[in-house]
Amino acid sequence: MKKGIFAAFALLAVLALSVPASAHFMMVYTPEIAKEKGGDMDFRMVFTHPAEAGHTMDMGGVKEFYAMYQRGDSKPKKLDFMKYVKEIEWKNPESRNKAFSALLPKKEVRSMGDYTFVFVPGYYFEKEEGVYMQQITKVIANVGGIPGNWAEPVGLPCEIVPLIKPYGVWTGNVFKAQVLSQGKPVAGAEVEVEYMSHMPDLKSNTMPAKSSVDYPHDAFVTQTIFTDANGYITFGVPKAGWWGFAALGVGPDTEYKGKELSQDAVIWVKAVDMK
Amino acid sequence: MKKLMTLTLVLALSAFAATAFAHSPLCDCFDNGDGTVTCEGGFSDGSSASGVKMYVKDGAGKVLQEGKMNADSEFSFKKPEGGYMVLFDGGEGHTVEVNGADIVE
Repeated sequence: MKKGIFAAFALLAVLALSVPASAHFMMVYTPEIAKEKGGDMDFRMVFTHPAEAGHTMDMGGVKEFYAMYQRGDSKPKKLDFMKYVKEIEWKNPESRNKAFSALLPKKEVRSMGDYTFVFVPGYYFEKEEGVYMQQITKVIANVGGIPGNWAEPVGLPCEIVPLIKPYGVWTGNVFKAQVLSQGKPVAGAEVEVEYMSHMPDLKSNTMPAKSSVDYPHDAFVTQTIFTDANGYITFGVPKAGWWGFAALGVGPDTEYKGKELSQDAVIWVKAVDMK
Repeated sequence: MKKLMTLTLVLALSAFAATAFAHSPLCDCFDNGDGTVTCEGGFSDGSSASGVKMYVKDGAGKVLQEGKMNADSEFSFKKPEGGYMVLFDGGEGHTVEVNGADIVE
């Protein structure tokens, strides 16, 4: 009996350890997504824990980086940016790893309209759990105020499609979006939400140790919400800055190299204070 | 009955007016670096600027070239020698002026 209880406790302890304190997030960051005028856009792609400037992980390379561009109701265009992707080293206070940058010159992103950026990384192997992860990530920018395809699905294996202009979010707005897998809504999907509380420094490719938020409990570091019966999420945005949403395991691919794969859909939005 | 019709008509008209005010015209131009300039236009509600009249004027306001936004809401023209401006003429209250000096690559 005693042995049994001990074993149970040991198992619980191991389980507790294996639950990560914060969520893995594919960060696709550029300082401004609501742009008055077209100009250079500098991106960083880092697989990390943005709420805690935590562990950085090897995302397994880059498969795709492009934007679907649309001005008004004109025909959407695919703009491929793979040639601008460069490998860099990203440094967080206690972790460093391979990451990527892309400096898009003005000529690529000067036209007014919506740019739905899509970043498809390779596969990250989470040794502790023996599973692969791939987070297909979107961030939507606008130049000049003429809207385009921000509310349209790109047609990715899995994606989060916003129902509120994602580059025009005020602090306190409700962010509403639909989680799709192969174009179909996913009911009851677990969606993790994190705030970028350590703003990335693009000059030094680092996140600072100091957080802009005091977290009273782990539950606040990574908030968890679920999609409703029609695949919608709603989230009141409490603070200006960058918010990431990751719908876990919603993609159609469930296996990679004979191991379990979690194919996730991520979107980043930026909230701005009303002044 | 007639009164009701009039009221409906007034309401319908004000609805139209509201729509017209809810969108603002937007136009931006780029120097293509080959002696031509391309302007791209649209409205803040995403509606097309196709067919909108475009004028290229010199410093004195004389029209040098004119044309219309094409199906993709674009208008290209030969870059004038001296100072110039571009007028996007989407009708009353829907015009945009772009100074030639601000048109760069």
